[in-house]
Amino acid sequence: MVGQEVFTQGLQLPLPMIISLLGAVATPFIGILSERTSAKLKDAWFLLISLASLIGVYQLYNMVKSTPNGVLLLYSWGQAPPLSGCFEVDMLGVYMAFGIAFLGLLVAIYSISYMEHETRVTEFYTLVTFMISGMFGIVLAGDLFTLFVFWELMGLSSYVLVSFLKQNWGPIEAGFKYLVMSATAGAFLLLSMALLYGLAGTLNFALLASSIRGNPLTGWTIVLFATLIIGFGVKSAIVPLHTWLPDAHPEAPSPISALLSGIVIETGLYAMIRLLYVVFEPELFKVPIAALALVTMTVGNVMALRQDDLKRLLAYSSIAQVGYMLIGVSTGLTYGLLGTFLHVFNHSMMKGMAFLSVGSIVHETGTRDINDLRGVGRMMPYTTLTVIVAFLGLGGVPGTSGFISKFILFSSSIGAGLGILAIFGVLNSALSMAYYLRVVMVLISGEPVEGVTAKEAPVLMLGVTVIMAIIVIVLGFFPDPIMGFASEASSTLLKGLANYIGAVL
Amino acid sequence: MYPISLFIVTTVLLFVFGLVALTIKRDLVRLLIGIEILFNAANLFFVALSTQGMGMIDPLPQSIVMMALVLDGTVIAVGLALALNVFKHYKTFDIRKLRRLKW
Repeated sequence: MVGQEVFTQGLQLPLPMIISLLGAVATPFIGILSERTSAKLKDAWFLLISLASLIGVYQLYNMVKSTPNGVLLLYSWGQAPPLSGCFEVDMLGVYMAFGIAFLGLLVAIYSISYMEHETRVTEFYTLVTFMISGMFGIVLAGDLFTLFVFWELMGLSSYVLVSFLKQNWGPIEAGFKYLVMSATAGAFLLLSMALLYGLAGTLNFALLASSIRGNPLTGWTIVLFATLIIGFGVKSAIVPLHTWLPDAHPEAPSPISALLSGIVIETGLYAMIRLLYVVFEPELFKVPIAALALVTMTVGNVMALRQDDLKRLLAYSSIAQVGYMLIGVSTGLTYGLLGTFLHVFNHSMMKGMAFLSVGSIVHETGTRDINDLRGVGRMMPYTTLTVIVAFLGLGGVPGTSGFISKFILFSSSIGAGLGILAIFGVLNSALSMAYYLRVVMVLISGEPVEGVTAKEAPVLMLGVTVIMAIIVIVLGFFPDPIMGFASEASSTLLKGLANYIGAVL
Repeated sequence: MYPISLFIVTTVLLFVFGLVALTIKRDLVRLLIGIEILFNAANLFFVALSTQGMGMIDPLPQSIVMMALVLDGTVIAVGLALALNVFKHYKTFDIRKLRRLKW
């Protein structure tokens, strides 16, 4: 018997997901207990869940390794997949789960220090844990319906987290905008599920692949493609469906901005990639996705140029990065997908670090306007150093991990005959350096604005960003560990589909 | 067995109504009702498809639609809670007044 059995009779769920889901349910009770004893208790509990999820991912990795064909099938109460929802864990799912758990742990350490003086900390921890468990569910799901349930769990927690600081008007407005757009996308996703059911009679990924993949293009498949792109594209902020992101990500508390930009939009992208590769042949969606990639990166970079709000600039830069990731999807090659998934992890580190260290600056100075942040580098030298590493990484400077994944992405697009994407990608990278370097210059030069005072961030917040900076630089010179993992993951998507089908049938 | 074309037409009509409501209505609660219409259109299509083929009613879509209804309900509940908070800050339900965040 494979899998983790929660209760002795057959309820099997992936380990990291059970930990974070049950942990989230228990968090309010721990919070009540913590009010009577010590405030440190709930912080320790939150850290414990995050750490345990990461260990759970490692265990899942070992279990997937030990299966003969690389697919771990988990289902409950003896109901085999065609008839019930299930979890199909493969290397790609484990890779994404690793990214989620790792960034989740770092953000957990950061937010303990960040949320020290806030009220409603217990609610914050509960919602973050629910959001992370929702993401685990998405990346490990084996059928579209399981994915949809966890998709809504992730969505619901993120709507509330975006508008968490409800005493200000900004988060509420941004949260409502986010909710309306995402819920509309959810309806489109439900419609695409209905269409898939109508075409194949099932929602299981393996059965969908065996019955739909390779069929000729009809009117219904085009509608299906459109609904899938709209349904997943809003969460992953593909232009023209991105308009909620520049509002929602800056208005959220900084740890949540890091999670949303670092991994939530990538989880949306993962779900889209998984569905597209299961349902369609790569040749069919090559050109539309390439066009979306082109528009997304250009719009993201051009809009980021004219921002004065530091967090808003980073939000637009996230849109541009999603555009780079789409390049790899459009190639349909294992090499391109390696670039995409490598960039997913690298981006989660770099953008997470950028939002966390910018969050420290905003926390200390109380302003997000770039022009008011002149000379902050003298007051907060270490934090500014991490900001610089993050921005250089996002711009793709050699020596950071961002360069390697971008290089793979652009060279793969030439290999797939989409050379125009490589040209525009390089031009966009150059354009993006304009706004990254502007921020760096403002931070390290000039006299401080009167009234803006800051001291170095607390040691926990600083420590997390420094660790991330070290990871980004080390992976820039020695990318082998993450490269091996990512290439294993990305080859699963194309070559492992037969194993996937074989595991279910 | 009902003709599926009837359901397809209804679904398309409901989707159009929902999208029109989302684009032209100004009241926050009406926007949420528009989302609900969209969700229900998709649910209706799903249930209608379950009656087609194989000579029996497939239980899979029925159970999925039950879960989907619950999920829609929670989304709308969070939306209403946010709408209440919007009213606290803006003293209105008019979506056009929510323009303080620049694009």
